[in-house]
Amino acid sequence: MRRILIVEDDEETRNYVKRGFSDEGYSVQVADNGRDGLYLATDGSFDAIVLDRMLPELDGLSVLKSLRAAGVKTPVLLLTAVSAVDERVKGLRYGADDYLVKPFSLQELLARLEALLRRPQEQATISELSCQDLEMDLIRRSVKRGERPIELTQREFQILEFFLRRKNRVVTRSMLLEGVWGYHFDPQTNVVDVHVSKLRKQIDGADETPLLRTVRGAGYMLQDD
Amino acid sequence: MRFVRSARTRLVIASAFLGFVSIAMMLGLVYWTANRAIEAETRNVVDAELKGLAESYSNLGVLGLARTIDRRISSSEEPDAIYVLTDRYGQTIAGNLGAWPPIVKPGSGWVEIELIRTDTDQTVPISAASISLRNGERLLVGRDASAKKRFAAALGQSVAAALIVAIVVSFIIGWLLTRMVFNRVGELSNTATEIMSGDLTHRMPMREGGDEFDRLALTLNKMLSRIELLVSNLRMTTDSLSHDLRSPLTRLRGHIEVLATTGLTDEERTNYSDRAVEEIDYILRVFTDLTEIARAEAGIGRADFEAIDLATVAKGVADFYGPVAADKGITIRVDGDVALALGNRALLSQAMSNLLENALRYAPVDSVIEVLTETKGSESILAVSDHGEGIPHSDQDRVLQPFVTLDPSRSGGSTGLGLALVAAVARLHGGAITLQDNAPGVTARLTLPTDAMKS
Repeated sequence: MRRILIVEDDEETRNYVKRGFSDEGYSVQVADNGRDGLYLATDGSFDAIVLDRMLPELDGLSVLKSLRAAGVKTPVLLLTAVSAVDERVKGLRYGADDYLVKPFSLQELLARLEALLRRPQEQATISELSCQDLEMDLIRRSVKRGERPIELTQREFQILEFFLRRKNRVVTRSMLLEGVWGYHFDPQTNVVDVHVSKLRKQIDGADETPLLRTVRGAGYMLQDD
Repeated sequence: MRFVRSARTRLVIASAFLGFVSIAMMLGLVYWTANRAIEAETRNVVDAELKGLAESYSNLGVLGLARTIDRRISSSEEPDAIYVLTDRYGQTIAGNLGAWPPIVKPGSGWVEIELIRTDTDQTVPISAASISLRNGERLLVGRDASAKKRFAAALGQSVAAALIVAIVVSFIIGWLLTRMVFNRVGELSNTATEIMSGDLTHRMPMREGGDEFDRLALTLNKMLSRIELLVSNLRMTTDSLSHDLRSPLTRLRGHIEVLATTGLTDEERTNYSDRAVEEIDYILRVFTDLTEIARAEAGIGRADFEAIDLATVAKGVADFYGPVAADKGITIRVDGDVALALGNRALLSQAMSNLLENALRYAPVDSVIEVLTETKGSESILAVSDHGEGIPHSDQDRVLQPFVTLDPSRSGGSTGLGLALVAAVARLHGGAITLQDNAPGVTARLTLPTDAMKS
């Protein structure tokens, strides 16, 4: 069972997040201030840490700094009330692995944390990705569904690769936005959805099993098995 | 002391003191020079007389000399002249002094003494010189200095009087000068007080002259205009913010209240909760945009400046919006020449995205949106042109302000902050955003300075 530490001073948020992770089958431990959070985190037995930036006793960035200075490499997702770009950069510079602005949707938090936990596999060098009968050749940059070759633009290829590397996991719109385009702003139009639906038209033919599923209120999931 | 602490009093005193000191030095010099001139003249005359009398002694002997002296005393030509001639034993032979003054040694040069004149029986100050003659006789020639002393005293008195006048005049001039300065300062200060009491429309008074005070007033007025603009923007933003948040919050409340009722079908429940989330997302977008604008206005984000090619940013964002545009039958055409600038990549991408979203909102179906980047002189330019209905001239500046949307029916999902954020980002980079007529449509032109690149 995966172990998660949640350091958050607001009781309602803490309980709500805790319940969300417990429901997903995580073992959750909580701390309501920075000092306790740092103490618990230092033993390194957690798989991931959700850390609020503004905490009593010791603020989130200091906790993060101390953790990294002590050599604890547990992935940390920083929660913050400040959305500005430079604040995000600052958080990452202090050693955070991801950054989420309050208020966030629980789905988004779960998806991002899941992504953090699986990160190492993602880095592995592989030349082929697949999902059911969909196959992607990363070297020849070709995609086919069964015997049907699929012509993708470079951007569509990138999006599909992003999904394939995270198959069976929820991929949110903002994860796509950051991962594929490197943008950190929230477009006022449904640009990401349009990109995804274009891709979907290409990979899910009329008489084929749909692979790219929309997850209500969260994003998308490429479903294997 | 409050009186002395006032700058005005100090200035009056300082200028009066300076005036007084300079006049006093001048008068003192006159006094000293005059006295010296008189003194020198006396000495020349006495020296010449001594020489002349010594000559008579050589030619006529001691008796001849005595007669010459007697003759001089009796003539009224030189009433101030003093003579004493004694024999070698100090016995007076001729002269108008009772005896040889005992403190004077013959040949000892110039002396100033007080003696009794035998011809007038008065104690008088005398300046004199003396010599020894060949057979031991002694001769003293001098001048009664009382006239000279009187002149000096009179001169001293007039100098003192002049000094008193000088003090008064210096004070008056100092007072007039400071009044001139302080009247202007007072005007500025009074206006500032009025402005402080809340009336930001007041301006500093200006005169024709264009002196230093007018330049100060001009600078202050420019500052006031800037402050007035910022304050009115802030006021408008707060007003619009409360309006813009009240509407979605009211809808949100409505949705939640409906959700709290019983007897909803699953479909209805999903529908209302989706709409509630939409309202929350909208409110958050307003918050995020306002925060970004405020941070950009405050200059935060400059720390992350790097060399950026606007063409790359434009191409990336245009590519991102390509499918959305295609759905509306709109083509985005990018004509990107290298346009380098120092900037914050994330903020510039967002600005470009806002410009493009705006163009997409107003561009008609089956039209082209042109994106152009270029370097012109010392400016890097990014221009987004659509062929929509355009913006009336009178509104071209207004739409750059927060919460201003011209056509509410088309604002769908827009916070009305997009262009305001672009304007704030432009200012952060030392550049500007201008809206121009594209006949038909609008060209939004973001210009950034390139000179920052060279330094």
